[in-house]
Amino acid sequence: MNTLTKRAWLLAGGIIVLLGSCVSILWLRQGSLQSSDTYTAYIYQDGRLLQTIPLGPVAEAYRFTIAATDGGYNSIEVSPGGIAIVEADCPDRICVLQGRLSDSLLPIICLPHRLVIELRPDGSASPDASPDAVAY
Amino acid sequence: MHTRKLTILALFATLALAIYSVESMLPPLVPLPGIKLGLANIVTLLLLQLYDARDAALVLLARILLSSLLFGQAMSLLYSLCGGLLCFAAMTLASRLLHRRFPELTSILGGIFHNVGQIMAALLITAVPAVLAYLPYLLISGIVTGLFTGLCARFALHCLRRLPPFR
Repeated sequence: MNTLTKRAWLLAGGIIVLLGSCVSILWLRQGSLQSSDTYTAYIYQDGRLLQTIPLGPVAEAYRFTIAATDGGYNSIEVSPGGIAIVEADCPDRICVLQGRLSDSLLPIICLPHRLVIELRPDGSASPDASPDAVAY
Repeated sequence: MHTRKLTILALFATLALAIYSVESMLPPLVPLPGIKLGLANIVTLLLLQLYDARDAALVLLARILLSSLLFGQAMSLLYSLCGGLLCFAAMTLASRLLHRRFPELTSILGGIFHNVGQIMAALLITAVPAVLAYLPYLLISGIVTGLFTGLCARFALHCLRRLPPFR
């Protein structure tokens, strides 16, 4: 086998290993997902924690709007056990397509508006990203 | 630069821009941010095979700047540049190491690095570490879409090589 073929095989092998490890990471995460009855939603904008919404006490769905720094908006619906971006004026509207978030697997992200919504099971440590979230 | 080459590179830049704009009109494949086919990368791959890294870089920069001027906002320019330049560096290196023989492998590597660059940009902009949860999804999609665009480039090259300027 010449050097070129060897390089190509090495690279292909590396890619297959990477693919395998990604698939197994996803599989393991899905399996080890902490199932919890109640979650708390953390809404970040520009890296700052904007709102913390415990989903446990939510009995009835309600909506509110978050103004983006560029003048746009995201309309958010909080429902029992879940949260979703239901309307937005960002160009791709992928945040709306991501649908309702009801577990901690993957946060909702609206990149154009720098908005992130994350769910964490209640009882887990609160994220240390923002010191203002600490209650004194 | 010869007029002939300049014209051909300008044509490729136009082609890349056209592919990019058509792709941006398609609905998203999966409702996850950052996942797309990246068909415009076919042009970069072709240029890496037909010419050299410098020419490919010129066309790529022209495409990124023009597309964000025409359809984008300032934010998408940052993502495109972060992903695009990292992807380009990886593909140039791979193409050189593989003596331009395996556009599929080159393209897969480009896809992986493009998405790593995008995650880095997203991490920088949102400053929320939870964004990293997307990394495995984006790596898998980079490998799959990279393989696809690499195969497209191989077939396109097969046809292009019959045309007078590339024979």
